[in-house]
Amino acid sequence: MTLAARNLVCSYGPTRALDGVDLEVAGDSILAVFGPNGAGKTTLLKALSGERKPDAGRVVADGKAVTGSDPAWRGRVGLVSHRTGLYMKLTVMENLLFFASLHAVAGPADAASAALAAVGGRELAGTRAEALSRGQRQRIALARALLHDPDILFLDEPFSGLDPSGADALATMLGARRSPERIIVLVTHDLRRGLGLADRVVLLRRGRKVLDAARAECEPEALLELFTGDARGRA
Amino acid sequence: MHAQDASGGGNGMGIGHGGGGRLAYLGFGLAATGVATILLVHWMVAFWVPTEAAQGVVQRIFYMHVPAAWTTFLAVAVAGLASAAYLWLEDERGDMAAVAAAEAALVFGAIVLLTGPLWGRLAWGTYWTWEPRLTLTLLLWFSYLGYFMIRGSVADPRKGRRFAAAVAIIGALSIPLNHVSVVWFRSLHPEPVVLRTEGPSLPSEMLATLMTSLAGFTLLFLGIFTVRYAMENLLRRPASGPPPGSDGAFT
Amino acid sequence: MTSLRWIWLIARKDLRAEFRSGGRIAAMLAFSVLACFLFSFSLDRTLVSGREIASGLLWLTVLFASISGAGRTFDSEEEDGAFRHLLLSPVSRHSIFLGKAAANLVAVALVAVFTLFALTLFFAIASPGPVVLHAAILLPGTIGLAAAGTFFGLISRQSNLGDSLLPALTFPVLVPLVFFGATASSRVFLDRPWAEISGSARLLWAFAIGFVAVGSLLFRYLTEE
Repeated sequence: MTLAARNLVCSYGPTRALDGVDLEVAGDSILAVFGPNGAGKTTLLKALSGERKPDAGRVVADGKAVTGSDPAWRGRVGLVSHRTGLYMKLTVMENLLFFASLHAVAGPADAASAALAAVGGRELAGTRAEALSRGQRQRIALARALLHDPDILFLDEPFSGLDPSGADALATMLGARRSPERIIVLVTHDLRRGLGLADRVVLLRRGRKVLDAARAECEPEALLELFTGDARGRA
Repeated sequence: MHAQDASGGGNGMGIGHGGGGRLAYLGFGLAATGVATILLVHWMVAFWVPTEAAQGVVQRIFYMHVPAAWTTFLAVAVAGLASAAYLWLEDERGDMAAVAAAEAALVFGAIVLLTGPLWGRLAWGTYWTWEPRLTLTLLLWFSYLGYFMIRGSVADPRKGRRFAAAVAIIGALSIPLNHVSVVWFRSLHPEPVVLRTEGPSLPSEMLATLMTSLAGFTLLFLGIFTVRYAMENLLRRPASGPPPGSDGAFT
Repeated sequence: MTSLRWIWLIARKDLRAEFRSGGRIAAMLAFSVLACFLFSFSLDRTLVSGREIASGLLWLTVLFASISGAGRTFDSEEEDGAFRHLLLSPVSRHSIFLGKAAANLVAVALVAVFTLFALTLFFAIASPGPVVLHAAILLPGTIGLAAAGTFFGLISRQSNLGDSLLPALTFPVLVPLVFFGATASSRVFLDRPWAEISGSARLLWAFAIGFVAVGSLLFRYLTEE
C-alpha cells in the first residue's frame, strides 16, 4: 500500500505547526520522522492518522483521500504514543479485550492473548495497568496497537521510557512487521534508534520538511548537523 | 542527500480578505441610523404616545424593553445559526459572525435585564420575580457569558471556537423552550400583544411607536453586528501566521 | 446495533473502573449525605416542615453532586492518554457520548436514591409519597443531568479554567430541569394525584430526550482536534 501527504498545513492559532508538507511512503518500509521539539512531528503524525484535520492539504492512501471522520480508515490505523493510553484501573487483559471489541476483532479473547504473547507479557494478563512498570505498560500499549493488525502503524516517541532491552525488543518487532501491505511511521527525536530502524528519513524543522531521503543516502553526521540547527539559514 | 524546501503552503482559511473597510462603513451607517431612530422613539415616548390606562406612565418603558428583548433573541438566533454553520461547514466566517452576534446578544440582553426589573418594580411592586420569560432570558444571558469564557480559555483556539459554538447552539435552542414555557405556565408576564392571530391589540399610536422602536433596535443590532464582523475579519488576517523563518515575532 | 454494543462496552468499562477506584461515586454520595445532614440542622423545622422543602433540597443536592462529579467523567480517559486511542478506534462519536453518559447516569441515579433516602431520614418524613412516583420524576431528571454533565464535562476538561467553568456552563441549561423536577417532586412528597404531576413529568422527559439528542449530535465537534 502507499500513504501520501499533499501540502499539509496545520495551525494552532497564529503558529503554523505544519507548513505545506509533502510526503510519500510505500509499503514494506519504515519511515522515520525526525526533528527538534516543536518541529511539527506529532502534528504531522496526527494529520496522517486523521486525528487532526489539516487546515489545508490532504492525506491519500492507495490513491484515495482519507480522513479521520471515516471509521473504516480509523480501523486500519494503529498507534503507539509516549503516553500508553491504558486504563489504569483495568487489568491488562481487560484493556486489550476492550480495544479488541471496539475494533470488532473476530475472537477478541484469542486475539488479545496472541497480542500479549507476542510482546512477551503473558504473565501480566491479570495485573492492573496501574501496577505495571513504565516499560511493561509500553509493551502492553504495543500489543494493543497490533490487536487489529493495522495496515499503518504510527509510533509517536515510542522509545521514551523504555529500557535498552525493551527498546531493542520493540525494534525487532517493528522490523518483523515489514510487509508490502504495511507501513510504519515512526516519529522521534532519538536519532540513533530511529536511524537503526528506518528505510526512509524525513527531517522537519519549524513545520517544514528540510530533508527527505533514503536511509542509505543519509550520513548521520550531516543529519545531526541539520538536526541540531547548525544549518539554521538553510531551513 | 538533498535538502528540500517545501515552498508556499495554501491558505485554506476561507476568510474573505479585502472589503473589510467597506463593510465597517456600512455597519457604522446602519448603527447611526439605528441610534437616530431610537432617539426619535425617545421623543415619541416622551411627547407623542398616549399613556396606557391601566399601568400609567410606567408602561412607556415597554417601548425599550420589548424591542431590546426582540433584538436579544434575534442576536442569539443569529449566533446559534452562525455557530451551526461554522461547525457543519467549517467556514471560519461562521465563527466570526457568531462572535459578533453573541456580543450583541450580551449587550441587548443586559438592556432587557435592566429595564425588566424597573418596569416590574412599578407595575408589579417587585424588582425581580421568578417569571419564566425573565428567568430564561437571564439564563440565556449567562449561557452567552459562558460562550466567551470558554472561547478564551482553551489552549488551541480552534477547539475553543468549536466549544463556544456548541454553547451558542444550545443557548439558541433554549429560545423555543422560552416561548413554550410561557404558553404552558401562565404567569404575571403581559400576554403577547403584537404577534397574535387576531392581529395587534394596541392603539395605533402605541403600535407605531413600538414598530419604530423595533426598527431602530434592529438597525442598531445590524450595525453593531456588521462593524464587529468587519473588525473580527481584520483581526484574523494575520491568522496565516508569521512567515516561517522569521522567528515568529508579531509585527 | 453496533452502536448499542459500543455504548454498552464503554459504559461497562467506565463503571468497572469507577467501582474499582470508588473515588468519584463515594465522594458524590458523601457530599449528598453531608449536605442533607447540614440542611437538617441549619433549617428551623418549627417554621418549615420537612415534607414541604424536601423536594427543593433533593434536587439541589443532586444537581450539585452531579456537577461536582461531571468534571471527573473523563479522568480515566486522561490518566494516560487513553481518550486519544478511543477516538482513533472505529467507534462512532455519539456512541462514546452515550456510553459515558450512561455510566454517569448510574452514578447520578445512585446519588438521587441515596439523597432521597437521607432526606427522609434526617427530616423524619413519615410519608414521603409513593416511591414509584419519585422514580418516575427522578429518572428523566437524572438522565438530563447525566447527559449535560458528560457534555460539558468534556468541555471544561480541556479549558484552563477547569471545573470552575462547569457551573457557569451547566446551570443555565439545567435550571429549567431542576425547576420542573423540584415542582413535580414536591407534589409527590405531598401525596398529590398523578394528574397534577404528569405535566412536569412530560416536560422532564422532553428535557432529557433533548439533552441526549443534542449531546449526541454535537459531541463529535468537541472531540475533533
